[in-house]
Amino acid sequence: MKPVLELQQVKKNRTGADTRPLFMDVSAQITEPSMIALLGVSGQGKSTLLRMLAALDRIDEGSVRLHDVPQSEMDPKAWRMKVCYVAQQPVMLQGSVEQNLRAVSFLHRIPYEDKLVKQLLPRLGLEHLELGKNAELLSGGEKQRISLLRSLLLRPEVLLLDEVTASLDRGSKELVEQVLQEWHTAEGTTMIWVTHDLEQARQISGQVWFMGEGTLLENSATTTFFDSPATETARNYMQGPASKEQPCLS
Amino acid sequence: MSILGLSFTLLFVMITMLVSVWQKLGLERDIAIGTIRSAIQLLLVGYVLQFIFNTSNPWFIALILLLMIGVAAYHAGKRGKGLRGIVWKIAIAIATTELLMMGLLLGFRIIEATPQYIIPISGMTIGNAMVVSGLLLNQMRREVGSSKGEIETLLSLGATARQAIQDVMKRSVKSSMIPTIDGMKTVGLVQLPGMMTGMIIAGADPIEAVRYQILIVFAFASSAAVTSIILSLLSYREWFTKDLRLLSIEPERKG
Ligand SMILES: Nc1ncnc2c1ncn2[C@@H]1O[C@H](COP(=O)(O)OP(=O)(O)OP(=O)(O)O)[C@@H](O)[C@H]1O
Ligand SMILES: [Mg+2]
Repeated sequence: MKPVLELQQVKKNRTGADTRPLFMDVSAQITEPSMIALLGVSGQGKSTLLRMLAALDRIDEGSVRLHDVPQSEMDPKAWRMKVCYVAQQPVMLQGSVEQNLRAVSFLHRIPYEDKLVKQLLPRLGLEHLELGKNAELLSGGEKQRISLLRSLLLRPEVLLLDEVTASLDRGSKELVEQVLQEWHTAEGTTMIWVTHDLEQARQISGQVWFMGEGTLLENSATTTFFDSPATETARNYMQGPASKEQPCLS
Repeated sequence: MSILGLSFTLLFVMITMLVSVWQKLGLERDIAIGTIRSAIQLLLVGYVLQFIFNTSNPWFIALILLLMIGVAAYHAGKRGKGLRGIVWKIAIAIATTELLMMGLLLGFRIIEATPQYIIPISGMTIGNAMVVSGLLLNQMRREVGSSKGEIETLLSLGATARQAIQDVMKRSVKSSMIPTIDGMKTVGLVQLPGMMTGMIIAGADPIEAVRYQILIVFAFASSAAVTSIILSLLSYREWFTKDLRLLSIEPERKG
């Protein structure tokens, strides 16, 4: 079977005077729909890698393939509908909450899944939300969940989640995890999930990608990674005081 | 005005120079260059116009108009640095506006088909179109910078370039037209427009001068709208790379 997503020797240069690459030789293969946690200290380039996978940032060297079709050969719009990035800082489009949720239906002239939305909103802890409200007025956590739901309605094959629970309380966070977990099982969506919350990573993922030292340092099953990490860097990352801190938006 | 009278206008330059020296503004060099350039440019234009009015050769008129459009496009193009083929796109937008304006003005016999009418009115239309083009590009740059998140969110949902930048375009077109429309509201109250002033000084009946000024004001409004919309449609794709990523916009430069 063709791999869902394949990264070959992916490299990203830094901008400006710094000539050291941000990361290089990032290679990985996702052979079947999976839940992957992408970990690494702040500034390693996790967001950048996700943006590259979603064709929003340039791939300086190497290639990314979806079912064996290189990104460079696919129409960027078609690619992004299959590999969808949910941003670290949620952006609301102008208009009401409902207009935001209808964005996909509006852009692609497909029916709006009203039932699904009505069903998912309470499950994300948003039952109180007034759909006619100006989306700009939502709280940070509400924006994150609306932006997530907006992307789910696109039904992508690969969902790139960039710290999507960063500004949520414990309860809402668990709700989101549950919804995504079930979505993954039902739809067979692959999710690559950036998080600084190790407990969450352990919970939701079957595989861990650990970025460090300017590359993808480890790629192993979640239990293996947490029980016996292969590198000193990963061990430090998990024990270091940094991991105890609350994840901060940056 | 006699040549002697014209020479006395240098008094104004001297006043400006004195202010600059006295207040240590350091503008003497710029004032000198500005004085010489404006005098030479205007005198040259006067002679060229005189020559064309005398010959009345339509090819010369066309040539002058093309030249005006070229200079205007080049000038406004500076606001669109980094955008592929932007000077050409501005030229097309301005030329279309000019054709439309002249088509209407001449077609309905609002003005006579002589260089005395065509050239000054075209000059003003093209000049205004140039300003509007510059405003639009500036505004687009600012908006694309500040709405990066919005545009990329739409892109990540599979939007086309047009869909992703539609709102930004609309806002920029609107804001590029505002100065012209505001100008309509206060014209004649705050300051007498240059053309009208000139006509009155040259001995025209004020009512006649006002009629032409009204024509210019209305023509400006529609030429602003037409130029801005055409240019935005011609250029929106250039804010993206070939593979539909948003260009990284360098911060706006002064001047
Ligand atoms: N648009 C940009 N222009 C220039 N540099 C950038 C840009 N975006 C990110 N960077 C730089 O690239 C590096 C990686 O950033 P990135 O956001 O990918 O890190 P990250 O691993 O997601 O960090 P965090 O965990 O804090 O979100 C950083 O040094 C950052 O300063
Ligand atoms: Mg990040």
